Amino acid sequence: MEYILHILILIGIYIILTMSLNLLAGYTGILSIAHAAFYGLGAYVAALMALQVHTPFLVNLVLAIVAATVLGAFIGIPTLRIKDDYFVIATFAFQVITFSVLNNWVSFTGGPMGLPGIPQPNILGLSITEHYQFLILVVVLCAVTFFICVRVVKSPFGRVLKAIREDEILAQSLGKNVSLFKVKVFMLSAGLASISGVLYATFITYIDPTSFTVMESIFIISIVIIGGTGNLWGSVLGAVVLVSLPELLRFVGLPSSIAANIRQILYGVMLVIFMIWRPQGFIGEFSFRK
Amino acid sequence: MIQLLVNSVITFGLIIIVTISFSFIYKVTKFFHFAHAVVFTSGAYFTFLFKVWLGFPLFIAIPLAVACSTILGCAMDLTVYRTLRKRKATSLVLLLASLGLNVVIQNVISMVLGDDTKSIRTGDVQVGIEIFGAYITPTQIGIIITSIVLVILTAIFLKYAKFGKAMRAVSNNPELALISGIDSERTILYTFALGSALAGIAGILVALDVDMTPTMGMNALMMGVVAMIIGGVNSITGIVFGSLLLALAQNFGVWKISSQWQDAIAFIILFLFLLIKPEGFLGKKIKKVSV
Repeated sequence: MEYILHILILIGIYIILTMSLNLLAGYTGILSIAHAAFYGLGAYVAALMALQVHTPFLVNLVLAIVAATVLGAFIGIPTLRIKDDYFVIATFAFQVITFSVLNNWVSFTGGPMGLPGIPQPNILGLSITEHYQFLILVVVLCAVTFFICVRVVKSPFGRVLKAIREDEILAQSLGKNVSLFKVKVFMLSAGLASISGVLYATFITYIDPTSFTVMESIFIISIVIIGGTGNLWGSVLGAVVLVSLPELLRFVGLPSSIAANIRQILYGVMLVIFMIWRPQGFIGEFSFRK
Repeated sequence: MIQLLVNSVITFGLIIIVTISFSFIYKVTKFFHFAHAVVFTSGAYFTFLFKVWLGFPLFIAIPLAVACSTILGCAMDLTVYRTLRKRKATSLVLLLASLGLNVVIQNVISMVLGDDTKSIRTGDVQVGIEIFGAYITPTQIGIIITSIVLVILTAIFLKYAKFGKAMRAVSNNPELALISGIDSERTILYTFALGSALAGIAGILVALDVDMTPTMGMNALMMGVVAMIIGGVNSITGIVFGSLLLALAQNFGVWKISSQWQDAIAFIILFLFLLIKPEGFLGKKIKKVSV
């Protein structure tokens, strides 16, 4: 039972990550492989605040979101001017730099040793220690994120995002400030991603830089694409399938030493196959084909 | 000081092979072939396979490994990329597919051969030869010579062979090339073959110098991408300059700050170039949009 709850919580964390990236990749058509950087930023901000300053969970959550959003602006404003492929490389560069900082700034982030003993969340005197309590917290935050995303994509703002995705020049010619919209959605996406980082750090109670590598970013973008771009339910579906599938393999009796490899091979193969036959994913609507 | 210079020359020799091989493929196919990283890694691991598992001597194992890497690169083009091109996929779709391929093959390597460091070096640790107070091992001299020879050979080949011309034609306009009687699919395949062979050789050279891990390719490839972008995609001279600048920055950066920050230095340079001069410092201005 504990095990199933554990997986459900992980699925919830990934749903938040995927939905936030879907706003960027699926709705606006901006491919970023730096999502794990914002995810990691959230985790580290929450962990460091809790360990060094002993601030409560909700304060850390807000601080993490603010930090990620501000960093999103810092990164987004200069880089979003760069076009398609080069933007991907720029986000890649940012991802590698972030990992390098987390890994090498030992005195502050703990370096490769990571940060152990992160306190579990305590919300207004109610401490969350059991798995089922944590699941409730994750579900609530998932629902909030989903609600925010739905409101955004159904709003006029969201329609402009889709317009940018379909034809950037046309959107510009209609008087939309395209770069401003891009920066805004980039900030929003970064801020939402940090929520899952906070949840991850307080759930596992230990973080190290290897959870926030380029490979993790590629995994997140794979979920978005396989689940379905430009469709929030696609992100939910993708996260459920891709996070739980490797766990099912464990029951087949695969040794745990190769389980991680199998998991990555699985989503790598799915990514290639989807790119060939169904680039918009299971239930998506956009396929990076302009 | 001189040691840093010598180190820079070695790094330069390695980066330039990766950069040239990657930029060929980029020039002709117009997408970032991320799976080039595992082709690079595969060169080292195939050598390991032939030498340690099958017991071939090194001078037979290396050509066999290069051949296998070439086949791997061509197989990627034939199975995945060609299908995608037929479906008129954009460069982003191709990029994503190559990321997928990279993840798959890298994990196959680490599953079959393990994540630990493997070595194909023979004998004891080599003691470097002293030149002007700097140390350099025979292997490293070999790396420098091999890379100079390879770069000159490819440059001559591209300039004077018919294939070089075909490559430039396809890079410029695939449809027009097709009309003029150039088989663009075949040219792309040959480009992948040439690029993959060079990448395989680079992988072997790195492994001879500092051993191998399954993730070594990604790092090398990123250095290649950085060098290509800061040098400017369209000229060999630019690529040489880019690789040189990167090699110097990485090695002299270590002089002031510790060596773990090498990656960060490279990527900060890339970041600055992308922001300030995305066409590279010898490249021509790219037209920003076309309707």
